[in-house]
Amino acid sequence: MPTGKDNKDNMIRFFRYSIVLTLAVLASCQQILEPKPVDLLVDDLVLNEPNDVQPVRIGLYNAFRSMGASNMIAGDFTADYIQANGTFNDYIQFGTKRITATNDVVDVLWNNLFSTIYVANFILERLPNVSGVKDDTRKQVLAEARFMRGWANFIGAYTYGDLPKVTTTDNQTNTQIARTAKADILASVLADYQAALTDLPAVDATSTNATTNATYLNKTNCRAAMARFYLYQKNWAQAEALATQVITSGVYTLLTNYSDVVTKDFTTESVLEVGYALSDDPGTSATGLNNLLVGRREVIPSNQLVAALISTEAGTRSQTITFNAQQQRASDNGWTVRKYGTASEDNNNIVYIRLAELYLIRAEARAQQGKLTGATGAVADLNVLRTRAKAPAITLTAQADVLLAVERERVYELAFEGQRWYDLVRTGRVQAVMSAFSPNWDSHYELWPIPQREIQLNTALVQNPGY
Amino acid sequence: MLAILPGCLLAQGVRITGRVISVQDGQPLPGVNIQVKGTTNGVSSDANGNYSINVPGSAATLLATSIGLISQEIAVGNRTTINIQMQESINELTQVVVTGYNTTQRKDISSSIASVSPDKFKDIPVASFDQALQGQAAGVQVSQSSGTPGGGLMVRIRGNTSISASNRPLFIVDGVPVENGALGGREFGGQTDNALALFNPNDIESIDVLKDASAKAIYGSRAANGVVLITTKRGKANQKTKFTADVQQGMIDIIRRPDLLNATELLDLQREAVINAGQDPDKLGLIRGVTDGQNTDWINSVLRKGVYQQYQLSTQGGNDKTQFYLSGSYRNEQGIQLNSQFTRYTGQFKFDHKATDKLSFGMNLTLSQVKNKRVKSDNFLDGVYSGALKSLPYYSPYNEQGRLYGPNDPEYGGFPNFNPVGQAVLPRFETYTIKMLVGLYGEYEILQNLRFRSKISADYNNITEDQFEPSTTAIGGFLPSVGGQGYGVFSSANVSKIVNTNTLNYSYQLAEKHHFSGTAGFELQQQFERRGSLQGRLFPSDDFTYIRSAGIVDQGDSYKNRNGLVSLIGEVRYDYDEKYLATITSRYDGSSRFGQNRRFGLFPSASVAWRISSEPFMQQFRFLNDLKLRTSFGFTGNEQIGDYQFLGTWASATYSGATGVGPAALANPNLQWERTREANIGLDASFFSGRLTFTVDAYDNLTNKLLFAQPIPQTTGFSTVQGNIGEVSNRGVELTISSVNINKAVRWSTDFNISHNQNKVISLATDQPVFRGYSGNGVSNTNVILPGQPLGTFWGLKFLGVDPATGDAIYDDKNGDGRITPDDGQVIGNAQAKLYGGLTNRVSWKGFDVSVFLQFSYGNSILNFTNTTLVNTGADIQSNQSRQALKRWQKEGDITSVPRYVFQDTYNNYLSSRFLEDGSFLRLKNVSVGYNLPKKWIERFKITNTRIYASATNLWTLTNYSGPDPEVSTLDGSTAAQGIDFFTLPQVKTVFVGLTIGF
Repeated sequence: MPTGKDNKDNMIRFFRYSIVLTLAVLASCQQILEPKPVDLLVDDLVLNEPNDVQPVRIGLYNAFRSMGASNMIAGDFTADYIQANGTFNDYIQFGTKRITATNDVVDVLWNNLFSTIYVANFILERLPNVSGVKDDTRKQVLAEARFMRGWANFIGAYTYGDLPKVTTTDNQTNTQIARTAKADILASVLADYQAALTDLPAVDATSTNATTNATYLNKTNCRAAMARFYLYQKNWAQAEALATQVITSGVYTLLTNYSDVVTKDFTTESVLEVGYALSDDPGTSATGLNNLLVGRREVIPSNQLVAALISTEAGTRSQTITFNAQQQRASDNGWTVRKYGTASEDNNNIVYIRLAELYLIRAEARAQQGKLTGATGAVADLNVLRTRAKAPAITLTAQADVLLAVERERVYELAFEGQRWYDLVRTGRVQAVMSAFSPNWDSHYELWPIPQREIQLNTALVQNPGY
Repeated sequence: MLAILPGCLLAQGVRITGRVISVQDGQPLPGVNIQVKGTTNGVSSDANGNYSINVPGSAATLLATSIGLISQEIAVGNRTTINIQMQESINELTQVVVTGYNTTQRKDISSSIASVSPDKFKDIPVASFDQALQGQAAGVQVSQSSGTPGGGLMVRIRGNTSISASNRPLFIVDGVPVENGALGGREFGGQTDNALALFNPNDIESIDVLKDASAKAIYGSRAANGVVLITTKRGKANQKTKFTADVQQGMIDIIRRPDLLNATELLDLQREAVINAGQDPDKLGLIRGVTDGQNTDWINSVLRKGVYQQYQLSTQGGNDKTQFYLSGSYRNEQGIQLNSQFTRYTGQFKFDHKATDKLSFGMNLTLSQVKNKRVKSDNFLDGVYSGALKSLPYYSPYNEQGRLYGPNDPEYGGFPNFNPVGQAVLPRFETYTIKMLVGLYGEYEILQNLRFRSKISADYNNITEDQFEPSTTAIGGFLPSVGGQGYGVFSSANVSKIVNTNTLNYSYQLAEKHHFSGTAGFELQQQFERRGSLQGRLFPSDDFTYIRSAGIVDQGDSYKNRNGLVSLIGEVRYDYDEKYLATITSRYDGSSRFGQNRRFGLFPSASVAWRISSEPFMQQFRFLNDLKLRTSFGFTGNEQIGDYQFLGTWASATYSGATGVGPAALANPNLQWERTREANIGLDASFFSGRLTFTVDAYDNLTNKLLFAQPIPQTTGFSTVQGNIGEVSNRGVELTISSVNINKAVRWSTDFNISHNQNKVISLATDQPVFRGYSGNGVSNTNVILPGQPLGTFWGLKFLGVDPATGDAIYDDKNGDGRITPDDGQVIGNAQAKLYGGLTNRVSWKGFDVSVFLQFSYGNSILNFTNTTLVNTGADIQSNQSRQALKRWQKEGDITSVPRYVFQDTYNNYLSSRFLEDGSFLRLKNVSVGYNLPKKWIERFKITNTRIYASATNLWTLTNYSGPDPEVSTLDGSTAAQGIDFFTLPQVKTVFVGLTIGF
């Protein structure tokens, strides 16, 4: 049996060994406890030196691109272009005009808008303090950030109405933030656009790289966005002037064949276009447009849109959709939208602004100002597009008729480019058109709901009426 | 007396020899440990039961122990020959229990540990040892997520402690925390693979489940969800080399088929829905006598009876210096879905050697390979079983020539009717997993009673996923946005872990009755993960199925990750005369998953026990063998979240062919350990020579600093931030009763366990509901996390019935605004069982044995999400409907629970309590019958034992659940969204016969 002394010695040794082991542990800690991530960059290292500027700038454009699909869905699925043909509740809601605050796309667009605004604010806060960046680079990237923040707020204001005005990356500030009046938001959009216009690089007609001219921002495509802004603001003179500047710049030119608009990426007509490569195509993700429109055919063109697009008035713009008899059964009319291709096709990008829209903006602005006929009249602009589409020319002369012709022409020309619902709401035609289309239509659908999760998490938000 | 030097004692030692035999049959017992009590001086009996040991003197006491035998203490006195008769233990008091970095006898435990011996599952064809725990231990809830072979299981010990960190217990095999959960990079419609299926359950000697803080604290940071210790078989000292062969063969079938409509019934229903919507069904192509011309039973077309077979050969033996165990096995299980199959090869080797009195070393090695042929299932739109449930009977799988219809045939239904037979047999989804678990240890007795042990182990897993979907399938041919012309993915991953454990053990006793033992140690653990994958499309034809032939290789990925854990371990045990027992345990852990300030966590615990039966005043109760009251208190942790979550990070972001960085996560430098405070009180009682034993435990656990990806307003630019927010409570009671009812020629024993756990979310960052699960139609989501409610709470509208006048659903207008909106969503039930457990009866007579195992769950709800499609009230006409749909409202005055069918009207199909059902069940989990051939028949063949047996699982189920199986969960492993049935493949019943031969 061990003795007391022996026990004591053993105890001492026991602790001595323990201490040695403890020290060994501490020495090996560092290596084991601080592995470096291979696919992530820590916040503090993101924007510190001149070489960091380009990656963050691409990140900004990436966020900008993310808004495209849900914005298109808002513009065209909320209106009379589609009918539901699948099993996803979100799209059945759009088809039956029973949109709810829990619709995922409502949430996706909101998310994309504010993540774009976050990156823009991040650049606006950090870039001025990064030393060694070339002055024109700094100016350009700051201008891009302002433009994109403006763009996101523009879409937000017209989709959701009053919008939280986010001007910082501060988490605390942005968590409980109330809505700011739509007019204030739009004023900030204009301020952002104007600031961007000053510092964005200029391009002229000698610039022949259609891809670059549509992929990245310049003074001309900034003017195009501003033309759309003024049109929505009913500032007809400015809309007309800016549209004219874009049309006459020579940077962008109309294609000969409309079918190329449908099936090709980065055409000369493309004013602002967000591109996907083979490897980052959205594929089957929730808002992958090809997947929704072609793969799953969750939505198909409504019968009334099909009728419009295959009429002689539309001309070659009937190529926007295609028919497959094999698919025609039950409630399926067999028609499919062609404007969004798969990753391996040449039309998987999303076009934000196309030169044809500038003609339509100018036509509408001119018609509103009573400039109807003649070389600088609305009808002339419409006929530019009609000629290209091999459709009969318009010969209208009454202002109301010309305005309706503009509305129809926008259907032919811009179907599935995300404009319809916004057009109907801003022209005040939405009640008339949509009530005729769906018995479930109600005036509260002139705005989308604030996503349910935001209402729940941010108690400062108030839901739009009717939802 | 204390002053006598030990050296003198040893010199004056007495040599004792003797023989150990069995009381029952007088046969010699090899491998019994004979130890001088209170010392580490011990030997084991040889093949003839003989032993020889030096003892200090006549005052010494010998302790004889062996697994399965009642331990004995024998005072030496003046004898030099001591023969020992040992008795088979029918109770578990003397059972050796693994307690982490130590072993002890059950009677000396002051914490809550449940043990499951392999005897309890040897006749059940479990693919993995976690499945073997099902219904066998109180406080352990196991449910199989689906009938997919080799698929995942949900294992929960004492409820759900965590919201977003893992709730799976820590599984430790021979000292190594092994990979559990899914290894594959791809989930198949909610169902994952199960890493534990790489072990052969027949190589297991014991399973010990550590349940309270005192037992678990030695595993500190990862122990909050409980710890399951697996010890694999080892050879016994001085044993004749023994061979065992085991063969099992049988059939597998679905337990219950869903009841769907035939073509004519469906057509009538769809026509009615269209007419109710004011449209003309003929114009939609729903024409009587034409549309229903074809009537395909898709379920029968995609299901089959599978063949099950398993073969195993093992050998074990050894002398007093070296012992070994070696086994090999093959298992092949055909799934009930066409083309699904699970094939496993395993090899197991264990080796122990005693080089000198002081030095011993050894190794363990597990090698296994699984080939898993999988098929898409569950909520996959193009799944097999799910597709068969949904597909319209109007279509047919084959044309007249027996060729499968594919995307280019006019007879192909198209979205979402993707010919599920083709979806089963045409694609290739093969997962090959190779596992190597290896451990090397050395042990050295530095001083008497002071032992150092070091073990280094590696758990190495290699996973290769080989997939191809030809142009004749939905993805490969029908969906141009994905495949178009064949779609192939090849991925390879390596997940490995290295663990180094070093411990010092010391024990001594003071004045005979004070026993101390202590353990101190440190452990380093590093986990490595490397993954890579490729995706190819546009294959020349379906003859080319590997990416080498792909026209486009458009997606690729490679990735590496590392995490680590550094820990200090300490434990002190004390007992006074085995009457008062106390244990203090603590672990100090540092994890790479947390930031510098919060990296280390301390997890202490303490327990005390009082053996009341040893008190003099208890001696009068002679029927009482043992009565022990024990209580424990302590802290455990959880760090099972992803890596680098405390960092604010940016990740690669692309745009038009350029690559930059975009925001990925918000920083939280204060992210820290999730901690569970656990309190336990328990009573162990044993009566009538151990023929009746009770164990009762009650616990109260509170988890705080919950690791939680907290949703935040997206105006911040992010949708979640990883935080430590909220508290979850688990309180419960567990009862285990074992009895030997008859112990004569007929032996009848009963094991029963029942558990009650009450789970509740106490607080969260805000009182706002946090939604989880699937998106619901008309409400946010299927599940909600809400303070005051348990995890697994279902959310939806409250369905009040069908209006007899209109046939429309009536929902509770909770906010009273006169409309049904998502704001009317409310708690409609939860998936937590109020009671669960198991009951096993075993009867043996002469060579025969029968065992009947019942398992039950009571009080849990199931969300039959399948019925949002199969009883969809006309929302679409592209899916077949369940027979329940025939109960729909048709005319004014109809009293029914199924609303009327209106084409494309989703109002009646809003997610509501209409889809919530009682999930309670009582299931005959297993019945097995065996017969041991009499020795006289087999002895001349040099065979020691032969057992033939037959076993059947899942034969019978009592439940009110309307779906095929109440024991399913589509989101395998989910806590917040458990208990959802969404086209989940039901369990299977397996019937097989087996033969075991020992020689």
